[in-house]
Amino acid sequence: MVRLYKVKGQKRKKKEKYDREEESEQLDDNDIPESPKKAKTEGSGLDNEKADQVIDEMPGIPIVPADTGKKPGVIFILEKASLEIGKVGKSYQLLSSDEHANYLMKNKRNPAEYRPDIAFQAIQTILDSRVNKSGRLKALYVRTQQGILFQIKPHARMPRTYKRFSGLMVQLLQKLHITAAGKGEKLLRVIKNPVTQYLPINSRKIGFSHSSEKLVDMYDYVGTVANDMDLVFVLGAMAHGKIDKDYVEDYLSISEFPMSAAYCISIITTAVERKWKIL
Amino acid sequence: MAKKSKSTSNGSAMRKKNKKKMKMKNNLSALNSVAMKSKVPKPNPFESIWSRRKFDILGKKQKGEERRVGLSRSIAIEKRKKTLLKEYEQSGKSSAFVDKRIGEQSEGLGEFDKAILRSQRERQLKLKKKSKYNLSDGEEDEFDIQGSGSFPERDDFEDEVPFDEDEEGKASGSEKRSTILGQLDLHGAESDLEERLMAQENMPKSKKEVMEEIILKSKFFKAQKAKDKEENEQFIEQLDKDFASLVQSEALLSMTQPNKMKALKALVNKNISVYHAEKEGTSAAQDKFSSQQEKPDSYDKLVGEMVMDMRARPSDRTKTSEEVAQEEKERLEKLEEERQKRIFAGDDSSDEDSDASEDKEASSKKLRSISGDDLGDSFSQDAVPKTKLGLIADILRSENDNDLESDDDDDASEDSEDDEDHDEDEGSDEDGNEYDKTQSLKDWEQSDDDNGDSYSEDGGGGDEEEKEDDIGIHVEMTNDKMSSGSNGKQKDSLDARKVKTNIKKDLLGQGELPYTIEAPKTFEEFSALLENRSDDQIVEAIRRIRTFNAISVAAENRKKIQVFYGVLLQYFAVLANKKPLNFKLLNLLVKPLMEMSSEIPYFAAICARQRLVHTRTQFCEDIKNTGKSSWPSLKTLFLLRLWSMIFPCSDFRHVVMTPAILMMCEYLMRCPIMSGRDITIGSFLCSMVLSISRHSQKFCPEAIMFIQTLLIAAFDKKQGPSEDSKLYRLMEIKALRPLLCLQGHVGEINTLDFLMLMDLPDDSPYFSSDVFRSSALFAIIETLKGFVNIYEGFKSFPEIFLPVSKLLSELAKQDHLPDALLVQIKDVAQLIEKKAQEYHLLRQPLRMRKPKIIKTEVPKFEENFVKGRDYDPDRERAQRKKLKKLLRQEAKGAARELRKDNYFLLEVKEKDKARLAEERAEKYGQAKAFLQEQEHAFKSGQLGRSKKRRR
Repeated sequence: MVRLYKVKGQKRKKKEKYDREEESEQLDDNDIPESPKKAKTEGSGLDNEKADQVIDEMPGIPIVPADTGKKPGVIFILEKASLEIGKVGKSYQLLSSDEHANYLMKNKRNPAEYRPDIAFQAIQTILDSRVNKSGRLKALYVRTQQGILFQIKPHARMPRTYKRFSGLMVQLLQKLHITAAGKGEKLLRVIKNPVTQYLPINSRKIGFSHSSEKLVDMYDYVGTVANDMDLVFVLGAMAHGKIDKDYVEDYLSISEFPMSAAYCISIITTAVERKWKIL
Repeated sequence: MAKKSKSTSNGSAMRKKNKKKMKMKNNLSALNSVAMKSKVPKPNPFESIWSRRKFDILGKKQKGEERRVGLSRSIAIEKRKKTLLKEYEQSGKSSAFVDKRIGEQSEGLGEFDKAILRSQRERQLKLKKKSKYNLSDGEEDEFDIQGSGSFPERDDFEDEVPFDEDEEGKASGSEKRSTILGQLDLHGAESDLEERLMAQENMPKSKKEVMEEIILKSKFFKAQKAKDKEENEQFIEQLDKDFASLVQSEALLSMTQPNKMKALKALVNKNISVYHAEKEGTSAAQDKFSSQQEKPDSYDKLVGEMVMDMRARPSDRTKTSEEVAQEEKERLEKLEEERQKRIFAGDDSSDEDSDASEDKEASSKKLRSISGDDLGDSFSQDAVPKTKLGLIADILRSENDNDLESDDDDDASEDSEDDEDHDEDEGSDEDGNEYDKTQSLKDWEQSDDDNGDSYSEDGGGGDEEEKEDDIGIHVEMTNDKMSSGSNGKQKDSLDARKVKTNIKKDLLGQGELPYTIEAPKTFEEFSALLENRSDDQIVEAIRRIRTFNAISVAAENRKKIQVFYGVLLQYFAVLANKKPLNFKLLNLLVKPLMEMSSEIPYFAAICARQRLVHTRTQFCEDIKNTGKSSWPSLKTLFLLRLWSMIFPCSDFRHVVMTPAILMMCEYLMRCPIMSGRDITIGSFLCSMVLSISRHSQKFCPEAIMFIQTLLIAAFDKKQGPSEDSKLYRLMEIKALRPLLCLQGHVGEINTLDFLMLMDLPDDSPYFSSDVFRSSALFAIIETLKGFVNIYEGFKSFPEIFLPVSKLLSELAKQDHLPDALLVQIKDVAQLIEKKAQEYHLLRQPLRMRKPKIIKTEVPKFEENFVKGRDYDPDRERAQRKKLKKLLRQEAKGAARELRKDNYFLLEVKEKDKARLAEERAEKYGQAKAFLQEQEHAFKSGQLGRSKKRRR
């Protein structure tokens, strides 16, 4: 859709830069408003300490330390998501095993591999988590089985029903970006591979695999990671197989049982929420 | 073949460059095209490369899907060579050779086909009419030349065309044109003939002809009609004949009724007697029907009965309150008249009898006429607006059941003791009981054990003084309520006669009470009226005054009642100040006061405010001179209590109650605690504050502070809590001595009687006894418990009560505490701590602001999205956009084509230049070589040509 009238002021195209420049810009934005706050807190640091002591003495009032400075975030990467569209009849559809079994057979594909519902569930679980609601989810990347990498902004309200989700994916994979309703901001965008170029430098890349030797309790493991480090979780959103990405530093198995992607994500987010005390 | 080898070497070079960039190799591709031209074109490896789709979609087949970029490029170059290159080559020339041979322009033809075409053409030309007259030269060639010469004008036309026109086969074009012309001629001839025919047909007819035609037509129609008619007649005749034969044959007989048959026959035979027979049949049927109709119907009967039934009638309307009041007044007047008569008659015994019988009649007529309380009650039922007394009614309702039970117990014990009381207060014996309770402490306290439980929730438990007062008033009212119920009325009717005689006796003893009493104007008048009367008579007198001067009866009565209210209030105050306290009468007075103040709320409020202001000024005076005790008197306390019952305590702001509460709090805050008596009054005030703030949930820090101070007073001076500096500061103002510190062991805890304590002098030894102290402590803690229960909803509960609980726990460590008290203290302390804990759990951590949920945005997408379709709801705009896009695309394409053309031309020019340069260099080299050779020969003396000769 095109605006009826030209809007005065800076153009969005010029203003909005994508990929790495954008990220750095965002960081700048975050820094600017915080800096005067910091200065203020430093100036009245002594007073604050005194006040804290006084408050500590008062019974029955739990104190949560006011966290100043930048908070670390979480990044999720869903690998091998089976999001593929096909032209079924006259319309384009997101291929799924239960809807297009015959079609896939005709095209000599294995229907068992077409499970977009896994990715749907996983995305929903990530975006519904408290980590996201509190603004600590930095980014969410999805890489399809075909190798198309796209990014979902954390503040995108993804459709709640599968049908609508599939409609969204059909449009995304054809148009390569989805804008917000009423705005020009791109909420979903197909971006260039590899995904590592978008990951922050000081981050821990953690992969998950049931086949991994390293069986850990997620909460304990998250506790060992340094507090200022961003966490990158790499999960597979496919029915069978495993992810083997060279950029992953550590492969974990967080349960003795094989688990669905969505539940695995919920375990991860719960652990992170507990670590950061997000209630 | 040399050419071919060159092309392959070029190809290999191209491959290397091509990997860098495709566009840079225009030069090379030109060479490549040269390679294509060679007889056996070697496949170009670039042409075998297919374009790859970036985002492959399963099942999608696009138009330009499988494209070979290299191939299309070389094709384009080929095309340019044919068109652009040719043009370029010709651009420098002034004339051009045009090959007009037949078939030369069409490429698909071989040499042989071309020859055939040419010979065909030749023959055609020979066979033409024109050529007949041509003189034959005998020679084929010449003929041919002549043939061509036979179209001189056509040649001229050809000459006019400029040479730079595109290379559409010109000869073939001319041929086409000639054939088209021929066709046109032929068609023209045909159309002429047709037109003539049409004209003949469409010629207008003459008038005569038209008329003839019309006449002919009408004649024809007439003949037709006549013919039709004739046919019809014939047909009908035939039908009649057939029918007659059918009837005669009697085949119809089986189908039709016999009488009809007859009729039919008659019809056929033209007989007239048919009608008679038909009539016979119908009359029989009619008879049958009438016999059915005459039977009687049960439903009709029922309807008839229903009509006779009675209709419902309206009953008498309910009387309004004014009417009731009026009736009441009239009744009193009548009674008064009778009394007056009786006075003059002077015959007591007979009168009494008659009176009694009258009364009996009256009671049988109207049950409520006898009991004074009953009357009041009915009055209150009618006249008291519910909103005013809602609060009190609530209290009463909640306690009614409890009181009922306890009263039953009382009845059992009291019945034996005073029968006369029982008789005296007919409907409400409990009044008497209450009276007894106040008189004999012991009885009261026994019964209180029953009452205590029910009351503890209400009155703050163990504070006996207050409780007594409360109950005194409450129970009195509950009894009224009870008597208003059916229970009371039954009693009335039973005891009516007996009671009557009793009252009479009283009246004889103390002087008779007039039935109609004017409202007294002054206090003196009123007190004169009530002098030497019993309590019941006083109440009865007040009732009669009120009934006689009811506001609803006459307008001027409002004034009277207002004055009377003031007087009554004064009477109440005076009574409260009397030294031998008539507590029962006070209780009885409360009810009429409450009712009246609900009638005249505005005036009542003014009265109360006036008194409050007065009390306050007095209090301020008192507090100034330190010697005098500034604690409120019994009168003030009773008045405060009265107001708290009259006016709603739960209002957020109330003209009377707000200042009253403030006043009470001021007392608690400012008055120094000097003696045990002060403690008693203070704790009574506390419990009053508690009862007031129970419903409003208003927070009175003064009361809690007072309780705290009292608790501190229970410590020894030396081991008292030292850390509560803030409280100590307060205590200094209060100048507190350890008044409540227990010195010795106390066996039991008595409940205190407030009235009794008030009667005691300030320096009575009882106040310094341990019994008083322990009981006072007990009472205080009970009140505290009440406050804890009230304020448990407050968020600042821990802050309010934790210091108190600390005090309590320390107090529990003191010596000499009786067990019951200890248990109570621990109980309350535990309660406070438990609740404080709950609040601590509920508390949220302090934060600058609440964590915000990130704002989310909804992605916009279409159902069944197809790439390239415009999802703009505005069709026109979408269309425009589409066109614009197309235009842009075309422009881009054209620009690209032009650019490529330029590249191509440039290349050609470069090549030309290079060739020229090469030629020149060669020539130069040749010349140079020649010269060098000459010079060499010259120098060597061979004189040249030695080599050439050798060659």
